[in-house]
Amino acid sequence: MVKHIHEDKNLMLRHEAIELAEHWIVAASGLLLILTGLFQLPFAARFNVIKIPGFAWSANYVTSLYVHYIAAAVFTFAASFHLIHHALLGEKGMLPKKGDMKESIAVIKSFFGKGEEPPMDKYLPEQRIAYVGMAAIMAVLIISGLVKTYKNLFAPDLAAWAILWATWLHNISFILFILAFIAHVGAILLKPNLPMARGIFTGYVRLDYARHRHPIWYARVRNTVEPSRSGETIVNCEENKRPVKSRKHRKKI
Amino acid sequence: MKEKLKVSRRGFLKTAGAATVIGTTGLLGITKPASANVGELATLIDLAKCDGCPDREVPACVSACKKIKEGKIPEVADPIPPPFPSHVKIEDWSKKKGVSNRLTPYNLIYVQKAEVDVDGQKKNVFIPRRCMHCDNPACVTICPFGSNLKHENGIVVNDQNLCFGGAKCKSVCPWQIPQRQSGVGVYLDIAPGLLGNGVMYKCDLCADLIEQGKTPACIEACPRGAMSIGPREEIFAKAEELAKNIGGYIYGKNENGGASTLYVSAVPFDLLDRAVEKGPGKPGLKPVKRAMAKTDNAAKAVLAAPALGIAVGVASAFSFISKRKDENKKEK
Repeated sequence: MVKHIHEDKNLMLRHEAIELAEHWIVAASGLLLILTGLFQLPFAARFNVIKIPGFAWSANYVTSLYVHYIAAAVFTFAASFHLIHHALLGEKGMLPKKGDMKESIAVIKSFFGKGEEPPMDKYLPEQRIAYVGMAAIMAVLIISGLVKTYKNLFAPDLAAWAILWATWLHNISFILFILAFIAHVGAILLKPNLPMARGIFTGYVRLDYARHRHPIWYARVRNTVEPSRSGETIVNCEENKRPVKSRKHRKKI
Repeated sequence: MKEKLKVSRRGFLKTAGAATVIGTTGLLGITKPASANVGELATLIDLAKCDGCPDREVPACVSACKKIKEGKIPEVADPIPPPFPSHVKIEDWSKKKGVSNRLTPYNLIYVQKAEVDVDGQKKNVFIPRRCMHCDNPACVTICPFGSNLKHENGIVVNDQNLCFGGAKCKSVCPWQIPQRQSGVGVYLDIAPGLLGNGVMYKCDLCADLIEQGKTPACIEACPRGAMSIGPREEIFAKAEELAKNIGGYIYGKNENGGASTLYVSAVPFDLLDRAVEKGPGKPGLKPVKRAMAKTDNAAKAVLAAPALGIAVGVASAFSFISKRKDENKKEK
């Protein structure tokens, strides 16, 4: 079994290798899709992207469509894999919970020095809401993209309404995807969230950070995944949202 | 309100009645159009018949097209907003509407002249040129706004209400058929300096006339019957037969993956290609492969990706579950 808590190194496992792979494959292919999507507009020649070394191909619509297709195949594969893999494993940590909206507002307020952050699970409440938002945008992008691809390959005379719906849903979700991508990167760059950035590169976050900011998650891992690795027992009290250290542990201290 | 309702009800009954009459007569074959608006259509251009209308200033097909398309392009903005950056050129044909010796937004068909040497004899061949209405048109594939559409009957049209005039369709067309008119179109209402540059125009084979069961203006106007339209299979068979009879050649059958416009000529098309004047708005007659074919395998991979992702996801999840079970057993 993978060790989740490394007291000696002050680290806690946040993402397993498969999650890291999924994230970075979606991110890399998503970025390539944004880029080649922009090149599918008459953009590259007009705004001199072609003059950037290595981007001479950007104004060639056949080449940029080819790269767009390759990125789309990888993106769609990774998204479908992610959906089915985690659904079958019953992993629902990223799905919104009751009260997430209220808690998100509290977290955002705390960024501006108003009030305190509620104790958090593995993911922040706004992360869970953003996840569903991003998933919805990706679903629309993928489905409309599949319709467009099918049309390009097999049915150039597909009904006009189907082409127009697919095209405009693809265009609108493309803009939303860019905005969501910027928001995602912007959120991780906020000072309180920065320690999480390490997790998405290495898989691990600092243990003291996890204890302090994600006590619900820390308690769950300590009590269920690795109860035998420490003398410490954490009472994970969802009701009062505070991890309370047991008497035994207090005595130790 | 009551009066309005009365009128609209009467109007409805009139429309319904007219529709019934048209429908019934249509079924009886009384109003069956000359162009047979059933299934896929194709056109045939017999170059042995076309003489370029030597007795007219402008060939009949060209002037008929100009006439029927007159007023279709809206009033051009004055001044036309200068596009950003400055290297992007405005294309304004509104003051040169009379040009008839090349393709322009106001001239969707023109007649090329090829002076060729056949068996030591000089011969003039006249070639009416317009959109080929390809089977899988790259302009339809590539349009980011869905303004280029292919109808079920094979006609490729560009909806001027959706077009931003980015000219992608022109870039990917092997003949660079679509022509831009700046200062018109939806881009004027959004960000005229920054996005778009007008509307692309090309032959739509008089799709509205075909809808009404009529024949496209150029075909109707040709005094020598050099052009014909009909069900695709019939036209293709006719072209094959004609080519066989004259020991000639067909252009358009395989070009760009196949088109619904076929040219039949006794003179080889590579010879004609060398003889015609080529340049902006003046396409050549080289054999062309479908450029988009390069993307077909990648597109197939996209369509296969969801099923592949699900299959691998299921396999991986079950492998995780079984691994987890084994670990639990070991721990117990």
